[in-house]
Amino acid sequence: MVNDAMVNDAMVTGGGGPVLKAERLCKRFGGVVASDQIDFNLERGEMRCVIGPNGAGKSTFFALLCGILPPDSGRVILKGRDVTHLPAFRRVRMGLGLTFQTNRAFHALTVAENLETARRASASASGAADDAHFRAAFGAFDLAASSHLPARELPHHQLQWLEICMALRRGPDVLLLDEPTAGMSPGETMYTADVLKTLSREGLALIVVEHDVAFVRKVAETVTVLHQGSVFAEGPVEVITQREDVRQIYLGRTREAAA
Amino acid sequence: MMRMLQLLNGPHDLGRGRGFWSGMVLLAAAFLAYPTIASSFSATNVAYYLLNIPMALGLSLLWGYGGVLSFGQVAFYGIAGYTYGIVAGNLQDFAWGTEAGVLAALLAAGLSAAAFGYFLFYGRVAAWIVPILTLVLALLLATFLGLTAGYQWRVGDIQLGGYNGMTGIPALQIGGLTFQDYAFFYLVVAIVAICYVALRIWVNAHRGQVLMAIREDVLRTELLGYDVRLEQLRVFVIASVLAGVSGLLYVQWGNYITPSAMGLQQAALPVIWVAVGGRDSLLAVAIATFLLNQLTYILSSGGNQSALVIVGALLVAVMMFAPEGIIAGLGRLHWLHWLRARRRAVPSGPASSGK
Amino acid sequence: MSGSERIPLSRREGGSKVLPELASILYQFGTNAAFLLLSALGLIVILGMMNIINLAHGEFMMLGAYVASFAVHRGIPFPLAVILAFFATGAFGIVLERLVIRRFYGRELGALVTTWGISLILAQGALLLFGPYMPPIPIPGGAVSEGVFSFSVYWLILIGISIVLVVALTLVYRATPFGLQARATMQNPSIARSLGIRTGRVYMLTFGLGAGLAGLSGALLAPATSIAPFMGQQFVAPAFITVVVGGGANVIAGAVGSSTFLSLIETPVSLTLGTFYGTMALLVMALLIIRVLPAGISSLGARLRPAVAR
Ligand SMILES: Nc1ncnc2c1ncn2[C@@H]1O[C@H](COP(=O)(O)OP(=O)(O)OP(=O)(O)O)[C@@H](O)[C@H]1O
Ligand SMILES: [Mg+2]
Repeated sequence: MVNDAMVNDAMVTGGGGPVLKAERLCKRFGGVVASDQIDFNLERGEMRCVIGPNGAGKSTFFALLCGILPPDSGRVILKGRDVTHLPAFRRVRMGLGLTFQTNRAFHALTVAENLETARRASASASGAADDAHFRAAFGAFDLAASSHLPARELPHHQLQWLEICMALRRGPDVLLLDEPTAGMSPGETMYTADVLKTLSREGLALIVVEHDVAFVRKVAETVTVLHQGSVFAEGPVEVITQREDVRQIYLGRTREAAA
Repeated sequence: MMRMLQLLNGPHDLGRGRGFWSGMVLLAAAFLAYPTIASSFSATNVAYYLLNIPMALGLSLLWGYGGVLSFGQVAFYGIAGYTYGIVAGNLQDFAWGTEAGVLAALLAAGLSAAAFGYFLFYGRVAAWIVPILTLVLALLLATFLGLTAGYQWRVGDIQLGGYNGMTGIPALQIGGLTFQDYAFFYLVVAIVAICYVALRIWVNAHRGQVLMAIREDVLRTELLGYDVRLEQLRVFVIASVLAGVSGLLYVQWGNYITPSAMGLQQAALPVIWVAVGGRDSLLAVAIATFLLNQLTYILSSGGNQSALVIVGALLVAVMMFAPEGIIAGLGRLHWLHWLRARRRAVPSGPASSGK
Repeated sequence: MSGSERIPLSRREGGSKVLPELASILYQFGTNAAFLLLSALGLIVILGMMNIINLAHGEFMMLGAYVASFAVHRGIPFPLAVILAFFATGAFGIVLERLVIRRFYGRELGALVTTWGISLILAQGALLLFGPYMPPIPIPGGAVSEGVFSFSVYWLILIGISIVLVVALTLVYRATPFGLQARATMQNPSIARSLGIRTGRVYMLTFGLGAGLAGLSGALLAPATSIAPFMGQQFVAPAFITVVVGGGANVIAGAVGSSTFLSLIETPVSLTLGTFYGTMALLVMALLIIRVLPAGISSLGARLRPAVAR
């Protein structure tokens, strides 16, 4: 823990370089290649969208980044430090936050208890426990009113928001969101996009997996397209969303597009 | 102090508010007054029904709140009992001999749980492996101690005694006071009360929330920055020390211990008490432990062979038809009504711990 | 009430005076492996399919031994009695699955606790119904009466039977419609269901198969032990350790790999220090194995991690 804290301080003050970096990440499940030589750079304060058809390997990529799964080969570098062999909770303590594709807030605990659990993960809170992002999101998502409700009684979109707030609670520098607006109404989706955009302007680095094109157009500058486990395309959002081959893989004409 | 009282009154066990705590104080007073109307024989009997409560509370913490099941808590019960017998027996001539025995016993239970638990939790094994391997540990300990008949199996002056067990274990002595008869009864009541209050504060405090978070979703908890392995190991050690407390009280009660205290049937009992009471309520578990100990004692003292069939059937029935436990189920029914009447608001139902 | 005291099995004594040293060690190793495999096979079949550990496994073995004892003492030849034990225990397992176990799919800890309750009922119930002992079964092919040697013949047969069982089980899983459905269900129950496989029926039959195998093993081991209500307890430690080390990822590879590996550890220890320390070595081995391979040695082949990122 002492080490983490020291590394953190050095990094927070040191700045420079990508905040999260993947080098030639590979992961296969039996015969399925879920991640294939993924190279990826995320700058400080950047907001990146990752898109790709179902089964493209987006969730697997997140799992590799945050240490839920060990990669078969390749490296993950968080704030300048090689974290490939660190367990997930250590990466979180170094300043990584994540939400899952399916909502996984603690349903038996109240909203306040959920957030409290998220806050106190370690005595030596990293990142100087900067909770500005959290406070901004907590206010914008208006969760204070339901503080004492058990999480299971929240409506769906608030549950999603709660999980984002939990991931923000300890003041991470990088936030990974796996389909945060799944199941939300268009209005809620756009509102969430606004809030995330604000956070990113205030210096938070985000990677968001999303299928909703309107959402992607609204928040992202750069978009990464994953397809069959590898980076298929990467570039400015206007360019990528216009590309014919990207449309085709979404429509399922995978073979020709890849060739 | 205020904060402690708030935590004590917190939501993660049955009962809260003035009425409930007045009742609890009355209950404690009734136990304290009991020796004035009871013979020392009945007081010792009641102490026997109570002395397993710390072990049961530990298992409730581990299984009900933490989602980690152990079938081998009796291993640590036995380790504590035997260690106390060896240390206190050898140091009988010293004034502090029995205190040293208590200390050594709790240390032995805690350290052996830490060592064993390290392998279980740091390998991140599937949920069924922990109960299976703790059970195997208890059985092997029982087998081993069964082999220790004969003069060559002794530690200092104390013989382990094989299947006949260790006898003549000295009673705890502090200053001039020997904890026998009524004094033993008060000791048990005090320890049970302390364990309950401390654990209730614990489950309502931060560590308790983390425990329940782990029970609900291990991965989610880890991704909030918690070292789940460490948290699980910690609660396993606490539960095992509590089992050690019960083991200590048991050897005070009968002044002997045999390997069967760690055998298969004994190992099943704590699981039955906790399941029948309601594993995610400390209070329900304490009540069930008291009642079921009384029940099995009465059943088996009549020479009745069917005690095990009855408690086994009870266990199966509870798991099938009332998985949240009988006492906790009744308790929640009651509190639901009470809360509805007071606030006309629907409180949180029984926390489903599933899995 | 004496806990897990293992009823001494005569196989563990002697042999070395009759047979040359190397053959004796091989023999010991083979009997240990066969014992572990027979103890664990039914358990691991159920685990692999439904992720449920059947704590009443030892009592199913006891039931098998009881059925065999009944049958043999009514004049039925031992091999037939063993087959009878398989079907009777299997039928019992199916009934139990329908009445109780199927409520616990997806609740593995609940299943564990419930089957423990069942085990208490069965063991104590057998005591109440049939008394403390059943008539023993004479060692089959009992013409050889040189004590030690007659045992070795039976245990050689048991080693052979273990191999036959493994082959038969492989065939069942590879070459029968049930096996195909079972493998599909094991891989992905919801897809199997959408393909029209009645997964409930697969679970029921698998539980029956596991129970039947337990009964079969109980009957096979019955001549080498005393047949009593609590005889199941002696199988608890070896069977469970074999399953923990094997894991449920691949039933047959797990059972064979684990029992072979463990007997390599157990045999030298119990030959030099005694049976208890042999079992102790198994526990230590299990702890070391789960530290490096939490899902058992059968996960070595198919390195599929549990689905976490869904
Ligand atoms: N634990 C696992 N075991 C086996 N295969 C897996 C596992 N996790 C993912 N896969 C496979 O890896 C591939 C990538 O899956 P992944 O979940 O990363 O895709 P995704 O892009 O997140 O898809 P979706 O849009 O549906 O969320 C898929 O073919 C999936 O079946
Ligand atoms: Mg996904």
